[in-house]
Formats: sequence, C-alpha cells, structure tokens
Amino acid sequence: MADNTVADSRYNYFFLYDGSKVKGEGDPTRAGICYFYPEETPLDKQELLCGQLAGVSRCVSELSSSPVRLLRLRRSKFAIRMKGDFLWALGCSVDIPDVSICNLLDQLINLFSFYNGPIRKSYQIYSQEDLAVRWARYLSHLQEGTTELHHIFSCLSTIDSTHIDPLLLLKAALILQACQRCPLVLAGCILFRGRVVSTQMSPDLTVKVMVHETETYNQDQRTNGLSSSSSSGSSLPSPVTFTTVFLTDPELHYLHSAPVDRTTRSQSTQSTPKEVNRPRKSRLLSRTLSDTPPSDPPEPDPARPAPLSLHCPSTPGSSTSDDLLFSPSLSFHTPPGPLSPSPSTVSPQISYHSLPNGKSSHEVEEGVTGGLHDQSLDSLEGGDSESGLIGVGPVQSCDIPHDLNRHNGDSMALDGEKAGALGFRGQNSPGCGRRRTGIVADEKEGHRGKVQLADTGDVPPAPCENSSGPPLTTMTLYQHRVRGLVLALLVEPHFHNDTAAVEEVYHSSLASLNGLEAHLRTTARGGAGPQGPYTFAHYDCIQNTLTTNLSGRPGGAQERSFVRATSLLHSHFSHTEALQEAIVRNAGAAVYATRSVAQETYFLQQGGALRNSGIPNHQDSAFSLPSKARHRLLKHGVNLL
Amino acid sequence: MKCLLIASESAEVLFYWTDPEFEQNIQEQYGASQEEGEKPPAFEDCINTLFAPIIISCSTMVDRLGDGYTSFSTENNHSYVLHQFEECLYIAVNGDGEEGEEDLRRKIYVMKKMIEVLFGVVTLSSPLLRKELRPQDTEQRTRLWKHLQSLLETYSRLKEQDQSFLVEAVERLIHPTLCEQCIEFLERSLVQQINSSVERAGEEVLHAFILVHTKLLAFYSSRNASTLTSSDLLALIIMVQNMYPSNIDLEDCAPEDVENTSAPDIFYTPEPSPTNRDSGTDGDSFVDPDIQMAEDSLQTLECPPHDPSTPSRVFLEVMLKEGCYPMMPHSMYCLPLWPGITLVLLTKIPKSNLAMSIYVFLEAFAKLEKRLSEGLEGSAARGQTSIQDLRNKLDKFIRAVGTVDIQTSALQSVWTEFKSRAFIRGGHGFNRGLVPWCRGMKTQLCGVYRQCFMAENGVGGGGPQRLSPSLQDRALIMVQEKLIDWKDFLLVKSRRNITMVSYPEFPGLIHFIYIDRTAGQMIAPSLNITDRATSELGKGPLAHFIKGKIWGLVNTSRLYLQKGYSTVTLRDGDYFFCYFLWFENETGYKLEVKELPILPDDSAPIGMLAMDYYRKLLRYYSKNHQGEVVKCYELLTVHLGVIPVEYILQHCSQLARKLWEPSRIPLL
Repeated sequence: MADNTVADSRYNYFFLYDGSKVKGEGDPTRAGICYFYPEETPLDKQELLCGQLAGVSRCVSELSSSPVRLLRLRRSKFAIRMKGDFLWALGCSVDIPDVSICNLLDQLINLFSFYNGPIRKSYQIYSQEDLAVRWARYLSHLQEGTTELHHIFSCLSTIDSTHIDPLLLLKAALILQACQRCPLVLAGCILFRGRVVSTQMSPDLTVKVMVHETETYNQDQRTNGLSSSSSSGSSLPSPVTFTTVFLTDPELHYLHSAPVDRTTRSQSTQSTPKEVNRPRKSRLLSRTLSDTPPSDPPEPDPARPAPLSLHCPSTPGSSTSDDLLFSPSLSFHTPPGPLSPSPSTVSPQISYHSLPNGKSSHEVEEGVTGGLHDQSLDSLEGGDSESGLIGVGPVQSCDIPHDLNRHNGDSMALDGEKAGALGFRGQNSPGCGRRRTGIVADEKEGHRGKVQLADTGDVPPAPCENSSGPPLTTMTLYQHRVRGLVLALLVEPHFHNDTAAVEEVYHSSLASLNGLEAHLRTTARGGAGPQGPYTFAHYDCIQNTLTTNLSGRPGGAQERSFVRATSLLHSHFSHTEALQEAIVRNAGAAVYATRSVAQETYFLQQGGALRNSGIPNHQDSAFSLPSKARHRLLKHGVNLL
Repeated sequence: MKCLLIASESAEVLFYWTDPEFEQNIQEQYGASQEEGEKPPAFEDCINTLFAPIIISCSTMVDRLGDGYTSFSTENNHSYVLHQFEECLYIAVNGDGEEGEEDLRRKIYVMKKMIEVLFGVVTLSSPLLRKELRPQDTEQRTRLWKHLQSLLETYSRLKEQDQSFLVEAVERLIHPTLCEQCIEFLERSLVQQINSSVERAGEEVLHAFILVHTKLLAFYSSRNASTLTSSDLLALIIMVQNMYPSNIDLEDCAPEDVENTSAPDIFYTPEPSPTNRDSGTDGDSFVDPDIQMAEDSLQTLECPPHDPSTPSRVFLEVMLKEGCYPMMPHSMYCLPLWPGITLVLLTKIPKSNLAMSIYVFLEAFAKLEKRLSEGLEGSAARGQTSIQDLRNKLDKFIRAVGTVDIQTSALQSVWTEFKSRAFIRGGHGFNRGLVPWCRGMKTQLCGVYRQCFMAENGVGGGGPQRLSPSLQDRALIMVQEKLIDWKDFLLVKSRRNITMVSYPEFPGLIHFIYIDRTAGQMIAPSLNITDRATSELGKGPLAHFIKGKIWGLVNTSRLYLQKGYSTVTLRDGDYFFCYFLWFENETGYKLEVKELPILPDDSAPIGMLAMDYYRKLLRYYSKNHQGEVVKCYELLTVHLGVIPVEYILQHCSQLARKLWEPSRIPLL
C-alpha cells in the first residue's frame, strides 16, 4: 500500500525555530534552529529558510496582530504555527490542499507534545539530537504507509473492514472493554500492522498512540527506542512497554466522559482485598469476555499516595489529586461520545470497529449472541485455531446468556433501576483511586496556574501552567505487542507500579490477543478486493476514517483525476458550510461529491470517455452520478440516502 | 482593512492605496512605538517601514531560492497576496474578509493593466516606470497617486456592484433597433464629419461608442481600425466611470419609469420631444443627483479641475496584418452627453507609427537579450541577417526621429556603443557581455517613446495636440440631439436591461448570467440592490444574500475552471447552482469538450480585463479547429433547491438556446 516514492516528496521541509535564541544583531540564525528536516540540508540553506520565513512571519503577524498560518510560494507552501518564540513550519508541494497541510502540522506538533510534554521544557531536558530523532520519527510516521487520499483527509488508516470477519472487530472491541474493568485503564485501542482495528479513543488521540506502535513494528524489535519508556520489570514479558505521555485537557476530559462500563468498576472497588489477590485464570476471562466477573482488578490502595511515575522526567513538582469531577458515576449522565456514529448514516458493518463498547454490547444482544459464546472463542486462546469463528457449536452453559444480559444492562447504564442503583453505589465510593499526576508544565512564570478541579488534600494542587501551549497532564501508555498486533491502553500513571493491576490486564488480554492476531494475520493478507467500474472515497469526519476502493499504487489517468477532484472538492467543502453536493466535470471525468455533517463521499464512474460538448444537457451521463453512487456504494456500506 | 502597495526591489514605495481602516491600523501600530510628543511620521514612511522586511525577504527568496512568495494568511484570516512583475513587487492585503486571495490577485493584475493603459511601453523598462510612478516632485506624485487610487477604487466599486465587471465582459443595452440606429449615426454622421474636419489636428477617430453608465449602447469602429479588445474596452469603461461616476444608491427610478420597463421594453418608442427645445442648454439645465455626485467625487480628489476637452492618453492593443502591437498610443475623449450617458471617441494620433517602430525594436532587443543570456550565442549570431536588418532600420529610425524634434542623443550614444561591441570581429561580439547593452538599448528606446507620447500628456496636463474644442462641442451636440428623446428611457433601461419577469417559462430560476467570451459580452437580469428600489429579488437582506451567492458562484466557477473543470453543479443551502462552459462554431454547432489546461494556484486571474484568459483558451482550443471560427460561451444559473435537478438542467439547456439569439446583435 505504501507509496514511499510519492511520500518522500510530499513534505519537502519541516523546521522548528526558536526566536528567543536569536535576539541580538550578532546572533547567528543557526542558533535558533531546533530541528530541520531534511537533516542533510546544507546549513546555509537551513538558515536562509528559517531566517526568511520566521522573519516574514513575524512581520506579517505584527501587521495583522495575529499569527501567520500559511505562507505560499510559487512552487511550495508552508503551514506555520507560531507560539511564543517558537515557530514550526511544514513545507509541501502546492498540490496538497491548505486545510490538509495545516492539519498535518498541527498533528505533528501535537504528537511531539504527546510524547515529550511542553516544547520549551523538553528542549531543556533532552538534547537537541535526541529530540531530532523523535521529530524525524514523527515525520516519517505521518508520511508513511498511506495513500494520497489519506493525506488529503489526514485520516486514520484502519484495517479494511470489508475484508475482515465482523466478529473479529467485535472481539477486538470486547478485549478493550474487558481491559477497562481495571479502573486505572482509561481507554485503549488495538492496532494491527500500523492500522486501527478498534479504538476507544478520539481519532486525534489514536493517531498519537499509533506512532509508537508503528515505530516498534517497523523496528521489529522488542525494546523500544524511547528513553522515557521502559519494560515492566515485573513478571511481565518484554512485549509490554510503558511510555509516559502528555494529554491535553480536552483529551483527558473526553477520555473520562466516554461511556465506560463504570458499574462493574464500581463493584470491583468494593471488593475485599482478599479477592484482589485471588489468582485469576485467563481462561475464564477470555471465555466470558463480556461477562461480568465476580471480582475485578485490584483497586489501588486509597490510603497510599499514588506513586510518582519514575519514568516521567518532567515532573519535578508533580502532585496527585483526585479528580472528583471525573468520578465514575458522572459518566452515566454523559451521552455516548462522538465516536458513536449516527446509525442512520453508517452501516453496521462499518461501525463495528470503532463503536464504543456500550454499543457493541448492544449489538451483541441484538445480532450475534449465538455466535459469541461458543467454543471457538475458547479454542482461540491457544492461538493455534484456524477454524475461525464461524461454524459454531452450541452455547456452552445456560448461565452465560443471563450474564450477558445483565452485563448489557449495566453497560448501557442509561436506563433501568438496577443501573441507576449501581451508579449510586459507584458514587458512594469516592475513595477509589482515580489519580493522576499533574506536572509543572513550564518553567517560566507560573502565575496563571491551572486549577486542579478537586484534590484530596494530600498535596496542594500543582500549578500546571504553560506559556506556549495548553496545560498538559501526564498519563502512561501501556502497550502489549503480539507480533503484528498491539494493544495500546492509556492508563493512569501509577498503573505501572501497581503490579497486580498490570498483571491482571496483561493476563486477561493475552490469550484473546493471540487469537485475534492469528485470525487477522490469515485474513488481512487478502489484497484489495475486486474493483467495480467506479472509484469512490468515503470519509467519516467524526471517526476520521476513510473507506475507498482506490489502491495506493500510482493509478491511471482516471484515478489521478479522481484524487485531484477530491482534493479540490474537499477543500471547497471545508470552507463552504452550506455546500451539500457538487458535480464537477472536465473532458475526461466527472466526479460527484456529497457531504453531511458526519461524512463526505466522492464518486467517479469509470468507463468510456464522456463524449459531450459541455453545453447543458439533462441527458448528460454526468448528472446521473448521484443515483449511481447511491446504488453502487450500498454494497460498500455507504448509505447516501 | 484593505491595502495595495507597489514597491521596487529596493523596498521603495512606488504607489500605495489603503482604505481608512488600514491606514488607522498602521498609524496605531506606529503610534505605539512612537515616543511621546514626537510628531508622527508621514504615512508613506510608516507603510514603507512596516512592509520593507517583507519586500526585502521576497527578493532574497527569489535570488537565493529561485522561488518567491505568492501569499500569506493569518489565523484571523487576513490575506496577503504578492506578485512580482519585472522589478515591481505588488502586495495586496485584506483584513476584513471581504476579499479572498483570488480577489486580491485580480486587483493586482487590474492595477497592472491600468498602469499599462496609462504608461504604455514605458512599463517595459523598470527604471523608467519607477520614475514614472514615483515622480520626484511631491505635488506631481500626490496628483498621480490620487488618480491611480481613485481608478482602483472605481474598479473595486464596479466589481462589487456591476455584474459586467464581476464576470469581466461588456454588457450591452438590449434594444436592437436603437442600437442599430445609433451605430449608423455614429458612422455616417459623427465619425465621418470629424475625420473630414480640418480641426482634427491630424487625429483620426478610430472608435466611437456610447455608454449608459457601464453598459454599451452602440459601438462603431472605422474601417481601417483594428478591433478594440475586451480587455481594453473594460479598462476604458473604468476610466470613464472614474471621470463621471454613476452612483447606484443615488440613482432612483420614478415609479412611472418602472412601469415602462416592466413591459417588454424592446418596443418602446419615445414621445416626440417638444418642438421648442433648445438642445444646447437642455442638458445643462437638467439637475440630477449624478451631477452632484460627479462634482463631489472630483472635489475629494483635490485635483486641479479637469479640462473636459483634454483627451486622456491611453495605450491600447492594435492588431494589424503585420502583427500585434500592444500598448499603442491613442487619445480618448470622454464627452458627457448627460449624467450617466457618455460619448467616447478614441483617436489615432499622429506619430503613432513611431510607436510601432519602437515596439518592433524593443521586441528585437528583448529577444536578443534572452538568447544571449541563455547562452545561445550561436543562434544569436545565426540571426545575422535579421541583426543586420535591425541595424539598418535602427540607423534609419534614429536619423528620422532626430528630425522631428526629439532628443535622441542618449539613444544615439548607447546605440553607437552597442554597435562597436556587437559588430566587432565579424559578429563575435554577440556574447553574454552584450546583455547589459541590450537592456540599455531597451531603456533608451522606452525613453524616446516616453518623450513622444507621455511628456505632453501628464495626468491632467494638456498638450496642444487634440481635436479642437469646438469640434468636440459640435460632436457632443450632434449626439445629444440624436438621443434627447431617448435619454430618460436609456437611463432607466440601463438599470433594468433585462428582467427575470421576461422569463416566465423557467419557474424556480432565480438568476442567470450568459457570457459570450469570443465577443466579450454578457447578458444577465439586472440586480438592483438599493434601499429604495425594490427589485424582483425583493428588498434588503434577501436581495443582498442572493447577490452574495451570485458573486460567490462566479468565484467558485473560476476556481474549478482554473483546474480544468468546465461543468460544475452545486447544491448550496436552499439553492442549486450550475456553471457550464462550452465551445461552438460560427453556425452554432456544439464542439466537443477538450481537456482544458490546469493552471497553478497563483496563475493570472481568470477573466478578460487583465491577462485575458479566454483569449488564450480560445487560441488553445482553436489549434484543433484550424480554419474554423470557434466561439466560447458560459452560462451560470441559480435555481431554488427544491426544483428537481432534471428540470434545472432542462432549464439550462433551454436558456442557452434562447439566449443564443440576442447575442447575435452586431457590435459594429
């Protein structure tokens, strides 16, 4: 799929420039260059670009009293971000739409702060060379493995759900759900060979998590390159890593407000310490993935202050605080997160891989109850089953459906007295350790402190101020790799030190991951399916995913013309709110585009050249595209009605 | 928050225009850095200081990277567009969201077009143009800049208000009988009389046309004149509007006029005029808000009163059998018949064949320079015969020019030096070292051209060379007599040229624009968005909303056309828009669509006023249709979104057929 020759020329320059280092007349421009890509660029050219672009940006932003966003030249263009003394610039060819290149730069900057924290701080802690390695990694991550269309939409690459047994997607969702029973686990995603199988996180966050995954996958080695992450020293094997990451407030809020099966968590927090130490059988868990086990992962001891993450280098004055605002019970009142698409616009087939767990459970109830709890899941544990999920045996025991129902009721948690009661119980246990470590995000004048929403009184709230960006909170990224498959979980920082919790999560998911990997490995190999006499791209703005039958290979004239039209129409959509539908035609091809709040769809009918004069003619084949698109795309799960 | 700036490479301001908001913004910024009690610096200096780093960075990038800036945008949606023409850098800024980058780029190109019309071939020499745009004398500079600023404002106003300037095609008054009568009158009576008069001082009327506001009533070109291009005609209309502005808001129709025009007005015949009319004073006694308007705007310019009998020197393209000569000198006489109605005469001036010779020499030296600087000495030398030819012709030219009272000593000395370097050692002198001398020759030729055609011109200044004032008066009175009965009708007609009520067979059709790009003409229902007059679109916000949609649609269609799409349909809110571009041969046979060129984002704006895109498009298309006349048409429609698409498309094709006929009205 990857078309690296194209990818290489996509971004021609990227640099980070620190204006504070070049204040005086005699200061050389090179002193301000923090990172420059491509690194082999001669220094005088680096200086020329940094000096000129930074100078012009400053001049223009003074004239307009606003930071510059985009600088265009005749043969290239630069997306710009200016924050304080820092200036980031990402250059690309002029074909890439403005909106796309600006998005990509933002993604890049956010990636950096996700793994390294505030920019100023990270440049104080780490050497420029270390950080250069990271910038290079993030850049290559954003460039690789995707088609030009992916760049136009800057969307997530997902596995092709049309060629995957939907039960596998469901299984992935259930694995994530099971992990969330540990109250320290906020959300997770499952990736396979650099593509998303299932995620509970927002698209932005998923992209960030994927960098690490892709990196380790590409290196094909067990240890990872990030200095701030380490393998767990405990009984866990090496494929598990912990990485310190930095989340913005909106991201954190989103994670806490996602509909998670809190009731079971609440229950678990009330379990006795004896139960915590009870040895667990992975067999049990994996067999009843959606079942509610009698007891759940151990809760952290509320009396013990949350341990500081030793691997978080930038937390000199960190403090812990319980964030009551995000206490579990609150989640009952929040509607399903934006990840859940509107069922009327997205077919169930597509929606599997990214539905939040609550909805998945619901669908279990509706559709696949019979097939889910059968022997094949058991047999999957060994990772040696090629028999697949289908060809199911009878339901094993009669109490499982009962459990399932109960669980569903809980997880939906929106109606039913039982759920309400459970919710209150959850609320009544405020001691449960949902802790997070705040960090002092910036070194300079820490006046405008970010007020922690609530604290338990152990430590005064940490001032979390940052002059060059939003406040950031540290979290830990847990990653468990099974060959091409990775389970990535965002967990509270002290999860790392909670051996019992780590083992719990690890063992509960290991077998299922093995099984899932084996299945994906055998099925995901199938190349692109048969192409119809048309080309389409369906972009889901909410989940940030793309469905297309266009391969990544450099295509024929019609494919190029499709990509060009799509890029033009996409940027037209992005700045014209009222625009709903468009048909554009040149001599060779006609492209139909339609969009709603949640999606954009592009369609091109291939075939003989459209012989026409261009004069208005209602019998023109171009104007029958909308009905053709509606008809053809149904089988791809795209519903344009 | 708008600004347009022209700067030299050394960051010297050659011209600027700002709106009051931008000026205030600059002064506030400057005020902040100013010490207490210090006198604020001149505005020109402020703007120079603030833009200088951008200008210098731009030339640094071009020099060292070979790639210059084309645009900037900021987070609060300010847009900056930059374009370099030779050694002049144009920067256009918008900070109020009213103009996009395309609009700014268009403004830059239009500014350049106006400068070409005003300064002609002098624009080909950057050093001379610099001097011309920034005269040493402060008073003269202020006057010139005021003139250019007001031209730019007039253009911006027309582009905002007038559909013909939106799509950059001339709109004609649809009244075939009157049009024909007028053309006949212009030919038989007016032009013939002037050209046979002894008071014409060697000038010869080539073109004569009557404008009602911005719309063309009649146009006549004499037999031996080359056609006036659409680009030049549009530029001239801007100049006329700048001299005699018509203001839409002040202009209003009396109720009875409205009644008159809502009926099919093609059959309007005026009441016979009163027999006791005194044609000379009739026009003068007429009091109209427009007179007030024209005087007001002249006063704000603070220019010395303009002598109406002084022609403006304009430089227009001339297409002859021998070739195409851009920017040839003409004189333009604008004779206001009544407020809003103007007779325009374009004359060929004596000595204008000098201009052609100079242009031929300029072209030859430019070609030579190009070949030499590309290192193609061989081919330069191979052109020995033409070089020899050039040498003889130029020698002859200098001798001839010397006799007609023109300073040629500088040209003479540079030419002598050139010859001594070039024709030494049997043609081995043609090498890269000759390049600066080619440039020198170009500058000297432009200098001679300037002496011939600019010196006596000056803005507002008058030379002795012109049609005598009495001849002009006679012409004015003749046309006034001819049109007096039609005057009121014409003024109203220009506001309601055609109306949507004349198209009842297209239910749901809100608006359309039909353009014949070969002729450079357009037809569209009138859109009068004034507070007092109710148009068919209704009043107030809705009418403004639809106007905004139409303006937006035109911009969108250009965006797609730039990328090679000739058909676009859009569903936008409650409306459905269509855009079609197609080609026909002379008999109306529809020609097959061809792959249109895909242009870069910063290419010249699509239109006819500056850098005529459609002319190039037609040339490109005609390559496969040798010996056939190719015509290019465009149709834009706005429908209500509830109408089924099938019907909308049917409407479009019927409309295209229906409108085909009126566009046959002969221009000549």
